[in-house]
Amino acid sequence: MRLVVLLLAAVLPGIALGQYYAGKTVTIIVGYKTGGGYDATARVLARHLPKHIPGKPNVIVQNMPGANSIIAANHAYAVAKPDGLTIATFNRNLPIAQLTKVDGVKFDMTKFAWIGSAATESTILAIRADLPYKSFEELKKADKPIVIGATGPGANTYDFPLLLKEFLGLNLKIVSGYQSSADIMLAIERKEVDGRAGSYSSIVRFIERGLVRPVMRARASEPGIEQLPVDENLAPNARAKAIMALRSAPEVVGRPYVMHPGTPAEHLKTMRGAFAAAIKDPELIAETKKARMELDFVDGDVAVKVMQEVLSQPKDIVEEFSKYVKFGE
Amino acid sequence: MIEALFEGLFLVLQWKPLAFMALGILLGFWVGLLPGLGGATTLALMLPFVYAMQPVEAFAFLLGMHAVAATTGDITSVLFGVPGEAASAATILDGHAMAKKGEAGRALGAALASSLIGAIVGAFALAIAIPIVRPLVLTFGSPELFMLAIVGIAFIASLSAPGPRGMLRGFLAGGLGLLCATIGQDPQAGIARYTFDMLYLWQGLDLVAVLVGIFAIPEIIDLAIRRSSIAGSLPAGRISKGAFEGVKDTFRHFWLTIRCSLIGTFIGIMPGMGGTVAQWMAYGHATQSARSAEERKGFGAGDVRGVLGPGAANNSKEGGSLIPTIAFGVPGSTAMAILLGGFFLLGLVPGPDMLTKHLPVTFSMVWTIVIANVVTVLACFLLLDHLAKLTTVRGTLLIPAILVLVFIGSYTSNNHYGDILVTLLFGGIGYLMVIGGWPRAPFVLGLVLGKIAENYLYISVARYEAAWLTRPVVLILFVIALAVIAYPFLQRRKAAHA
Repeated sequence: MRLVVLLLAAVLPGIALGQYYAGKTVTIIVGYKTGGGYDATARVLARHLPKHIPGKPNVIVQNMPGANSIIAANHAYAVAKPDGLTIATFNRNLPIAQLTKVDGVKFDMTKFAWIGSAATESTILAIRADLPYKSFEELKKADKPIVIGATGPGANTYDFPLLLKEFLGLNLKIVSGYQSSADIMLAIERKEVDGRAGSYSSIVRFIERGLVRPVMRARASEPGIEQLPVDENLAPNARAKAIMALRSAPEVVGRPYVMHPGTPAEHLKTMRGAFAAAIKDPELIAETKKARMELDFVDGDVAVKVMQEVLSQPKDIVEEFSKYVKFGE
Repeated sequence: MIEALFEGLFLVLQWKPLAFMALGILLGFWVGLLPGLGGATTLALMLPFVYAMQPVEAFAFLLGMHAVAATTGDITSVLFGVPGEAASAATILDGHAMAKKGEAGRALGAALASSLIGAIVGAFALAIAIPIVRPLVLTFGSPELFMLAIVGIAFIASLSAPGPRGMLRGFLAGGLGLLCATIGQDPQAGIARYTFDMLYLWQGLDLVAVLVGIFAIPEIIDLAIRRSSIAGSLPAGRISKGAFEGVKDTFRHFWLTIRCSLIGTFIGIMPGMGGTVAQWMAYGHATQSARSAEERKGFGAGDVRGVLGPGAANNSKEGGSLIPTIAFGVPGSTAMAILLGGFFLLGLVPGPDMLTKHLPVTFSMVWTIVIANVVTVLACFLLLDHLAKLTTVRGTLLIPAILVLVFIGSYTSNNHYGDILVTLLFGGIGYLMVIGGWPRAPFVLGLVLGKIAENYLYISVARYEAAWLTRPVVLILFVIALAVIAYPFLQRRKAAHA
C-alpha cells in the first residue's frame, strides 16, 4: 500500500500539473543547412531547452533549407500542427520578403505564435585597419572609392553599404558575388577589397586580430560597438532615415523563433518561459561564451511589434525601399 | 619545422587521442557507407562532445570521422554506381565499369590504395608547403581563381571522346552543365534565373541530387534490363582475387597517382574551389595518360587509371582543405565550417598563429588524416572480398536496396521532395546520354565550375576592369588552360605519325 502511494506520489504531479510535454519530442526546424549561425544557435538551444520545459521533452533539430528560409516558414505557418511541438527558426529578413511581396510567401509574419528571438544581430561596416580612415567624417572625405566586398542583394553585406552609398554619400564601390562572408574576409586579407559589412558576430574575431576596424553600425547594438555612429542618425532627410530604419528593424529579432499561428496560449507561454530561462542558464552561457555566440532573449511581444512596424510602412516608403533592397539570403 | 612535424605526430600517438580517433573512424565508416547521414550533419551532431576534450583529442575524433567518410564513399561508387558523397562521383565512371567486368575487387583495391597514397602525399606536400602556404593562398585572388576554373573547364577536351564528333558532344554536354549551373538566384542583381516560380530552385540545383541521378539511375535501368548480376554471369571465383591486383595497379601507375594526389592537395588549398572539382580534374588528368586512341577509348569502360586518379585526389585534398580553415579562418566546405566551430570551442584562434606558434597542433591534424586513412584502408581490405561478392548477387535482389540508397541519399540533401524529382529528371537525362554515347563527365565539370567561374569573373571585372588580364599568374594559368585543350590533339597527331 505504501508502495502504491509512493508510486502515485511520484507519477501524479506530472499528470496533475498537466505536464503536456512529458515524454514528447519537440522539433526545431531550421531554414538553412547545417554549418551556419542559425543552425548553430538552434543546436545549442536544443541541448539546453529540455531542462527548462516542464516534463523535460526531447528537443531535436531538423534542417529544412531552401529559398532563403521561405520553405521552412511556409511549413511552420500552414503544414505543421498547432500543438506546440514544432518550433521554426528562419531568416530574420522574412518580414522584408512579405513587405516586398516576394512570390512564394504564404505566411503573415505578424500572425505566428512568436516565442521571440534568441539573439540580436548588429550589422557593422568594417574596413581594413591599414587604411587611413578612422571615422565617418574621414570616410566621407575619401577621394578614392572604397571597395566593399559583398555576397549579393538581400544580404546585409550588400544592402547596408548600398544605403550608406546612396543616402549618406559615402564613396563606396560594391563588388558582389563572394560565396560567403568568410570569403570576403579572405579577399580583405589579400587586399582585393577594402572592407565589408556584416553581422558583428562574424567580424569580431577579425577586429581582434587587427585585420579590420569597425567604422559604422546599424540600429541594433551589442556590447563593444555602442560607440559607433549609427547610419540612420546621419540620414539627411526623413525618407532616407525611414528606409535605413526599415532595413535595420528585423535585426533586433536576429534569431527568430516561432510556432504555428494557432498554437494554444499555454504552450506559447511555456516556451517563452523556457527560452528565457535556457538563455540565462549558466551552462549555456559557458558554452556560448566559448563559441563566441552572444545569445540574448527578446520576448515574443517585442518581436510582434517589430513585425508590425516593418509591415505597416506607407506605400511610398515601401516603393522607394524596394528600389534598393531585395529579399535574399 | 621538422621538429614540429614530429611533435605533431607524438601528440597524436598517445592513447587518448588514438582512442578518440578510433571512435571517430568507427562512426565515420558507417556514416560513409550509409546514405542519409552526410558527413557534415554527423560532425554537427558530434560537435557538443568535444567540449570536454583537449584540442588534439577533439581533432583526432572529428577529423578521423571526416577523413574516413571520404574513403568509404568510394566503395558504393564502385560497387553500385551510387556516389556516397558528391566528391566520390568520378570514381564511378571506371570503377563501376570495372565492377561490371567482374573486377570489383581490383577496382576497390585500387581506390583504397590510391586513397591511402593520396592522403600520405597530401600530408607531406602540405608539410613542405607550410612556410609558403599563406603567400600562396593570398596570391590567388578572384582573377586567378577564375582562371583556375577555366583550366578545370578546359579538361572537357580530355574528357570527351576523340574525333570532331566526340569533341562536339563533349563541349555541348559541358555547355549544358554550365547552363544548369546558372539556375537559381544570381548573386549580382538577385534575379531568379530558370526557377520557374519554384521556391525549391532558388538555391540552384543540388549537386548530390544531380550526381546521384545522372550516374546511379542509368546503372539501375541497365541492371534491370540485363536481368543478371552487376558482374554479369562471371564466376564468383574470379572476382575475389582482385583486391591485391588493385594495389599492384597503384604502384604500376605510381607517378600518375602521385601527380593526381598533388592536384588534389593544390585544389584543396584553394579556398572556394571545393572537393568535387579536385576529383574531376584528376580524372581528366588520368585520361591524358592514355598513349593511343585505343587506350583513350578504354576510359569509362573500366581503365584502372580512371579509378586511381580520382581516388588519390579525393583524399589528398582533405589535408589541403584544412589550410584555408586553419590559416585564415575561411572554411572551404560545410564540414570545414563546422570544424571551425570546433576550433572556437577549444579556444584555438585560426589565423597565422596556427602556422607558427601552434604548428604542432596543425601537424597533429595532418597526421590524424594520415593515420585515419591507414586504419580505414587496412580495415576495408579485410572486408573487400566480401563486399566485391555483392556484384554477383542477382540484380532483381539488389535493385530495391540500391534504389533505397539512391533516394534517401538524394532526399537528405535538402529534405525536400524536389530532391527526388531532380534525381529522377537527371536520371532520365543520364540514361539518354549513356544510350546516345554522350559523355557525362563534361556535363558534371560544367555544372560544378559554372557558378565558381561566373562569380569570380564578375568580381574580377567589377574590381579590376580589364587590368586583371595582365596579372602574371592569370597569364600562366591561361597558358596551362591552352595546353590542357591542345594536349589531346597533339597526342593524337603524335600517335598518327608513329
